[in-house]
Amino acid sequence: MSKVECKLNVNGLTKKIYIFEDKPLIFALRNDFGLTGTKLGCGLEQCGSCAVIIDGEKKLSCNLPAIDCQNKEIVTIEGLGTDTSLNSVQEAFKKFNAAQCGYCTSGIIITVSSLLEKKNKPTSEDILNALDGHLCRCGSHSVVLKAIESLIEN
Amino acid sequence: MSNFDSGPSIKSYNKFQDWFDFSKTGSIRVYSGKVDIGQHISSTLALIASKIVNINYDQVEIIRLDTDFTPNEGITASSLSVANSGSAIKAASITLKTNFINYALNHLNINNEDIQFENGVIKDKNSNKSISYWDYAETDDYKNTIIPEQFDEEVLKKITYANNQKIELKNIKEIVTGKYKYVHDINFPNMLHARIVRPHSYNCELVKINEDFKKRLIENNINLFVKGSFIAILSPDEFLAVKFSELAKNQIVWNENRKLSNDNVFNSLNTNEKESLIVKPGGEAFNEKIPEIQSFDQENIVTLSSEFRKNYLMHGPIGPSASCSIYSNNKFTVYSHSQSNFALKQSLSSYFNIDTSKVTIKFMPGSGCYGHNGADDVAFEASVLSKAYPDFHILLKWTREDEHCWEPYGSASINKLFGAINDNGQIVYWSNEAFSDTYLSRPSNEELYNFTSFKFLNNDFTKIRSKPKTSAHMGIHRNLDPLYNFSKTRLVKNLVHDLPLRTSALRTLGAFANITSSESFLNDLAFAKNIDPFKIRKNHLDDERAIEVLENLENTMKKSHAKPNNYRGIGFSRYKNSAAYCAVGVELNISDDLDIKLINAWITVDAGEIAYEDGIKAQAEGGFIQAASWSLYEEVLFDTKEIISKDWDSYKIIGFDNIPIFTTNVIDRKGSPYLGVGEVVAGPTGGAISNALRDALGQRIKTMPFTKENITSDLLN
Ligand code: FES
Ligand code: FES
Repeated sequence: MSKVECKLNVNGLTKKIYIFEDKPLIFALRNDFGLTGTKLGCGLEQCGSCAVIIDGEKKLSCNLPAIDCQNKEIVTIEGLGTDTSLNSVQEAFKKFNAAQCGYCTSGIIITVSSLLEKKNKPTSEDILNALDGHLCRCGSHSVVLKAIESLIEN
Repeated sequence: MSNFDSGPSIKSYNKFQDWFDFSKTGSIRVYSGKVDIGQHISSTLALIASKIVNINYDQVEIIRLDTDFTPNEGITASSLSVANSGSAIKAASITLKTNFINYALNHLNINNEDIQFENGVIKDKNSNKSISYWDYAETDDYKNTIIPEQFDEEVLKKITYANNQKIELKNIKEIVTGKYKYVHDINFPNMLHARIVRPHSYNCELVKINEDFKKRLIENNINLFVKGSFIAILSPDEFLAVKFSELAKNQIVWNENRKLSNDNVFNSLNTNEKESLIVKPGGEAFNEKIPEIQSFDQENIVTLSSEFRKNYLMHGPIGPSASCSIYSNNKFTVYSHSQSNFALKQSLSSYFNIDTSKVTIKFMPGSGCYGHNGADDVAFEASVLSKAYPDFHILLKWTREDEHCWEPYGSASINKLFGAINDNGQIVYWSNEAFSDTYLSRPSNEELYNFTSFKFLNNDFTKIRSKPKTSAHMGIHRNLDPLYNFSKTRLVKNLVHDLPLRTSALRTLGAFANITSSESFLNDLAFAKNIDPFKIRKNHLDDERAIEVLENLENTMKKSHAKPNNYRGIGFSRYKNSAAYCAVGVELNISDDLDIKLINAWITVDAGEIAYEDGIKAQAEGGFIQAASWSLYEEVLFDTKEIISKDWDSYKIIGFDNIPIFTTNVIDRKGSPYLGVGEVVAGPTGGAISNALRDALGQRIKTMPFTKENITSDLLN
C-alpha cells in the first residue's frame, strides 16, 4: 500500500498531502487539515453530519475519496465565515441557540448555507428536502427550523 | 415563598471553595459535578449563579467535571442536574451574596442605601471606595463559611432576581463555527487511533486470527492487541485503523457459545422465568405475595383489560461513543463523555487494582444521547488499551455498527392492564403489571461485568442475572404508580430473565412504557363511560399543580380546532411522582397507507422555579421529538444470529419531515425547588400520540412503534 499526492483546496487554502487512494475526504479534512468541525456520524451517507460544500454543492464527505476532490473548492463549517463575522446561517443558529449537543449542527448549517447560496427564498418544501437525511438525536429540530425560518423572513 | 432546601450536594460540599474559584479577576469560575450531554446544563448553572450573585452571565464560567477537583454529584441522569447541582449552586450563590454584602457594609462602614452593586463590585456612592467578590474571596470569612442546608423565607426575600433572561448558550458560538471540541476531536502528538474488532454477537469466543493477516498488519505498521477475545487495531493514522479493523472482520474465526434468541421477544417476556414484586403507593417495590386481580360483577361497573407492547429502543447518539486514555507514570488520565465519571473512576481503579488517586477522568463532550450508551464501555476499552501502550494517548472511537449493536438498549416491555370504572366515572380499581428486562446495568466497581468488553477480556461468557431494584420509581417500575387517586391499585413489576439483548438506562427508564400504557388505558376507560379525557384526569387528581398543568394545556388547545381528518390526543404525568409535571397534546393525521404525520404539539410544563426558560423549552420539545420517534418508528430488530439494526437504514428515527408546530408553556413556581425537565415529556408524549391514533382509527393500537406493519396486524387482531 502506498500513498499518493493529493492537492486539496479547502476554505480557500491549497495544500498538498500524501494519502492512501481510498481515504475518504472526511479523514483528510479532520486529520490532515486539522479541521474537526466536520463530524463523522455513520460513515454510510445516512446521517448528514459530515456534510461539506464542494464547488457550491452540498456533499457528504464520509465516503467520498479525497483524491476525487482535487481541483475543486471545498468549504467546511470552519470556512463559512470568519472569526469576526459569521455567515448568516451561523448567525441565526447562534441567535436562536439552535443546537443541543451540537454534533449534528455543522452538517445542518452547511446544508442550509448551500441551499441559501442557490435560492435566497426557499420554500418550506425546499428546506425539508434539503434537510432530508440530516439526523439529530437531541431533538433540536424545532429550534433549528425556527432559526432557518428567521433567515427566510428577513 | 417557602423555605429552600440546598439539596444533596451541599451535604458533602458546603464550602465556597467547593463551588467557586475567584482566582481570575473579573470572572467567577463555578464547579459542577454534572456534565453537558446536550441539555446545556453549563449555561443553566451559569445563569443561576449570575442572576443570584448579581454579576453578568458572561462573567461566569462553568468548569468541566474533572474527578480530581470538581464535586462528586453522582451520575448526570434522572433529570436531577438542575435539581441537584442547580440547587447547590443556588444555595452557594445566595450565601455568597448575603455574606459579601454584609462584609462590604462592615468593611466600607456604610449603610445599605449607600451602596452601588455592579458586576461583582460594591461601591460606596459617596466615597467611591469599593470592594469586590474577588477581594472578598481572599478573606477568612469567605474561606470559613459553611453553606447552610436550608434557607428560610427571610433570607430568600432579600435575594431578588428575574427568571426570564435571554442568554447566549455558553458553547453556541463554538458549535456554529465548528470549533467546539468533542472527545472525537482530541489530538495529541503521541497518539494511537484505535478501533475494536467485534464478533457478530455477544457470546463469541476467539478461536483464531488468520496468520497471513497478522503479517500484513506488521508490514503496514499496524498494532494488533488481543487479550482473551478482545481485539483491537491501532495505528497513528486513523484511516488505517478504520480500514484494517474492517478488513479484520473476515480474518477471524469465532466460536459462538450461545445464540442470540430463540423466540419473539414478546413471547419471551410472557414465558421466561421472572421475579415479581408488588409496587405500593409511593412507588417502592416489595417482595411480597402478588394479589390476584379483583373481579367485579356489579352492573354499574365496566371493566376493561388491555396489553401494550414496546420493542427494544436504542440511545443512538449521532456521533458514536469515543474516549481517549493515557497511562503514564502508573497513572491513568481518561477523557470521557460518560454520564457517570466518578463511578467510572472507581471501576477503573478496581479493574486495574490500583488506588483511585491513580485514575483521573476528565469530562469532554460527546454526542447527545440521554442515558447509558456506549460512553462507559468505550472509556473502559480505551483505558485497557492505554495500559498496554504506556505513554501513548489512545483515542478509541466506536463505529456506527458498534454503537447500534453493542450499546445497552432500553428494554422491550409489556404492560398488562385491568381497570374498573363505575357510573360516576370513578375508577374503582386499577391494575398495571410491567414485564421487562432491567433498566439499570451501569458498570460499577462491583459490577465490572456490565462493561460489554469485560467478558471478552476474561473469556467468561457466563450469564449474569440482574436483581430487581426496589427503591421508589427505580427502573422498570418508574411511574408505574400513577399520580391519580384511583380507589384501589394493584401494581406489579416483573423483572424477566434471559431476554436476548443487553439493556440499561435509556431516558425515562420504565416510565415511558408505564405512562404511555396508563395514559392510553385511562382514555379507554373514559371512553367506555363517555367521559372527556381532561375531565377524567382532573377528577382523579388532588394535586393542584397537576390540575393547573392540565388546565393550561386544555385552554391552550381550545384556542384552535382540529382540522378535518386530524385527530387529537393528550397525555399527562408527574415524573417519578416527585419531579416535574407535564401535560402534552398532539394533533396528527394518518394517511391511507398508515403513515402518521404530526401536525401540532402542545406542551405545558411545571418544573418548579424556572432556572432557564428557553433551556426548559428546548428540553421539553427535544424530549417530545425523541419520544415521538420512539412511538412512531423505533425498534431494534434482531434474529437468532445477530442484531439486524446495524445502521440508520435498519433503525429508522424521526427526521425533519415529521416535526409538529410546538406551543410550549412553562409555568414558573418562583421559590419552589428546581425540578428537572429532561425526561418528563416522554411518557405523556407516548400517551398523547397513542390516544390521537385511537381517535383516528377508532381502535386502540397496542404495539409500538406505530408502523404500518404493527398497525395493520393490531387492526386485524
Ligand atoms: S457520516 Fe457521512 S452521512 Fe453520516
Ligand atoms: S443537537 Fe445533538 S444530535 Fe443534534
